[in-house]
Amino acid sequence: MDEVVAEFLVESYENLDRLDRELVDLEQNPSADKLAGIFRTIHTIKGTSGFLGYGKLEAITHVGENLLSRLRDGELALDAEITSGLLALVDGVRRILAAIESDGTEGDADWTALVERLSALNRPAAAPAGTEPVADESDDESDADESGADESEADEPLPFGQMAVQAGKTSPAAVERAVAAQRSGDPRHIGEILVEAGELAPGDVVDTLAAQAEARPSMADNNIRVDVGQLDKLMNLVGELVLARNQILQFTTIQTGGGLVDAGLVSTSQRLNLITTELQAGVMKTRMQPIGNVWSKFPRVVRDLAVTCGKQVRIEMDGRETELDKTIIEAIKDPLTHLVRNAVDHGIENPEARRAAGKPAEGRLLLRAFHESGQVNIEISDDGAGLDVERIKRKAVERGIVSLEHAERMSDREATQLIFVAGFSTAQQVTNVSGRGVGMDVVKTHIEKIGGSVDLQSRLGHGTTLRIKIPLTLAIIPALVVTTGGDRYAIPQVNLLELVRLDGDQARSGIETIQGARVYRLRGNLLPLVYLHEELGVEMASGDDDAINIVVLQADDRQFGLVVEGVSDTEEIVVKPLGHQLKGLSAFAGATIMGDGRVALILDVLGVAQQARVVDEVRDRALVDSLDEGEGSHANRQELLLAEIGDGSRLAIPLRAVDRLEELSTTLIERAGGTPAVQYRDRILPLVSIAKTLGFAGATPVESGDERLLQVVVHSAGDRSIGLVVERILDIVEEVVRIQRPSPKPGVVGSAVIQSRVTEVLDVDAFVRLAEPAFFLETTAA
Amino acid sequence: MQAIVVDDSRAMRMLMGRLLKDIGFEVAEAGDGSEALDSLRERLAGNPVQLALVDWNMPEMSGIELVEAVRSDPSFAGLRIVMVTTETELSQVSRALDAGADEYLMKPFTRDDVVGKLELLGLPV
Repeated sequence: MDEVVAEFLVESYENLDRLDRELVDLEQNPSADKLAGIFRTIHTIKGTSGFLGYGKLEAITHVGENLLSRLRDGELALDAEITSGLLALVDGVRRILAAIESDGTEGDADWTALVERLSALNRPAAAPAGTEPVADESDDESDADESGADESEADEPLPFGQMAVQAGKTSPAAVERAVAAQRSGDPRHIGEILVEAGELAPGDVVDTLAAQAEARPSMADNNIRVDVGQLDKLMNLVGELVLARNQILQFTTIQTGGGLVDAGLVSTSQRLNLITTELQAGVMKTRMQPIGNVWSKFPRVVRDLAVTCGKQVRIEMDGRETELDKTIIEAIKDPLTHLVRNAVDHGIENPEARRAAGKPAEGRLLLRAFHESGQVNIEISDDGAGLDVERIKRKAVERGIVSLEHAERMSDREATQLIFVAGFSTAQQVTNVSGRGVGMDVVKTHIEKIGGSVDLQSRLGHGTTLRIKIPLTLAIIPALVVTTGGDRYAIPQVNLLELVRLDGDQARSGIETIQGARVYRLRGNLLPLVYLHEELGVEMASGDDDAINIVVLQADDRQFGLVVEGVSDTEEIVVKPLGHQLKGLSAFAGATIMGDGRVALILDVLGVAQQARVVDEVRDRALVDSLDEGEGSHANRQELLLAEIGDGSRLAIPLRAVDRLEELSTTLIERAGGTPAVQYRDRILPLVSIAKTLGFAGATPVESGDERLLQVVVHSAGDRSIGLVVERILDIVEEVVRIQRPSPKPGVVGSAVIQSRVTEVLDVDAFVRLAEPAFFLETTAA
Repeated sequence: MQAIVVDDSRAMRMLMGRLLKDIGFEVAEAGDGSEALDSLRERLAGNPVQLALVDWNMPEMSGIELVEAVRSDPSFAGLRIVMVTTETELSQVSRALDAGADEYLMKPFTRDDVVGKLELLGLPV
């Protein structure tokens, strides 16, 4: 293909992508600058296609250009119909460009209908009398009255007039007069008018223009285009180099240990180390793309969908320049699009409902992206109706995902997580075009596949925020290397929380067995343990070291301890996919080549946790629930925290309602509004004695005084927490709870036999309502 | 002979650049008016530019703004400026000529069109 044609295609595609966004934006925030930019794009395509002999393209862009020039000159006002027409034009241009790209011709499609449509829009009848230009669509340089502070324009400089005012060179009134003069037909620039009116020194015009130019993000022309395949190859080579570097480093260390190496090799290998690291960072950077590349499609998506659903939605973007590796950008494109569609389709209400709820008719969809601790955070928030927890529960029960009993006991937070459960919605694919029937489980799976996580927060009536955290790159990750059964395994550092080593006595007595499951008490929290050699079915290498190494890991919001034989070091590893034969093993995420040239498997932490059943997986448990549930029985397998209250009575608290377990000193207790409370994580945590509230004898007094330690179960709902004081924390068990005797006491579901002992089962919500009525009031009012 | 092609479209710069090279110019490119102005200034000392083909509608500094800036600086007296327009802008060509442009070309133009204009301007072809 001719070089010029190729360049024309690339350039036009780039401009069109921007155009989609700008057109929609323009409908919401009319701006002469943007209109001029859109005009320019179409104008350029038209001009160039004339040279290249693309008659059809020239014909449709020609009518588009005419329409745009009248809009730009304020002779026509932009409305939804014109915007739709212009978007259709953009689509038409894209199709012709695609045809040119594929076979060099403009294709067979007939564009007369589009040309007629655009011409019709350009009829003077559509213009409001045509005399008075609409304020917001005044001439190019006359936009001094625009806010300029508008978020979507944040990267554009202020208009000339405002710049001059800001620099103290002229008065706002003078600028206003100049703008008014321009509107009434003065063809001169704002600067000219001001100078001639003696309001601005001629020298200041130059200064202001310079300042304005400086404020513009300069798109330096020293960019070159590189084939993506080339970059992928480079990245692969860098991966191999990292491996070779690791091998050389290890070799040098071994040799140095044996005293066999001279200083020259040591310093050279260190240099190699540094250069490799820099090279790796550099190459990785070339593959980075701003997330705006994906986002640029959303305004169009949102607009089209909003029009279809009869809604009004304004999309805002923050952090468009946040960069991500190309592969990740591609991997999140579909899930993100899906979430955005969902927000419009299900999140934001129709204008009538919004007005009835006292909200502006136009809904707001905010996309945010930012870097945080080596990860990229992407937020999608809407100010829509929020998730209706009760409806979700009902739906989950109908679909057989959870039992009625279970649903009733779920906290709001748990219930909102239900939308991620497979089978909650009916859609099978993220790319499902209708956008109906959520398919959030697929979204979640996709995000997790690339090492990311999805979190959802929602408030009924106020909106929903989805936060996605994803790694910057997938190719090279920091990992902890551990050994078990003589083999090495790499654990991605994102999952790693801490390392615990138990020696001597601790190793013998530190591990407790509860209901057949081994746990370790880590700072008052019971940490379920998983023995790696058991999960992988390998023999523990016999050694005289009786220490126990626990790698504390995070999987799916839960923590667990992975017991390994040895902990080596953290290392940058290059992730290589597993062969077909091993793909089915959920415990492994991939493989890597270690410094000594041997292969090590990378553990899939979530996979290991699921295999060991320590992850509180809603979907698995839900299945158990429905299987266990007989007609009319109240069987329900759930995780329970067992505690002693009063003088030796036993109480079970559903673990789902437990946020944390804390030991708090009574010296910290203060009184807030007549209630004992402590300062906890920058908040006030009210403390309530369960024994006292339920009328058991022997309750530990919750008051400051001589120093004692209180055992506190922290329960949270929304952003509020309450501390439930028990006498002693006993255990965490997973049991099928059969309520033998419903309790007349409010706050207690009833009694059940747990671990062969009669145990009261706490109804956390009812209890909190009883003990601290304000808790819920404040939650809903917050 | 030195020429500069000022256009925000890379494809257009390539097109016009080819044309001028074919006619016998050495061609520099600029993506907007201010870039062109910098480039023109840089070359003043060594190898001054004799011809500028300037697009009308560009971001940053438009074609007409470039013409105004060039004409306000006497050191560019030897520079011939040809405005590149389309028929939608034709009505405004007089504005460009008033501002100091020497000639104009309407898109799409051919090599002969360009040669014709250059002859009008007295540039050796």
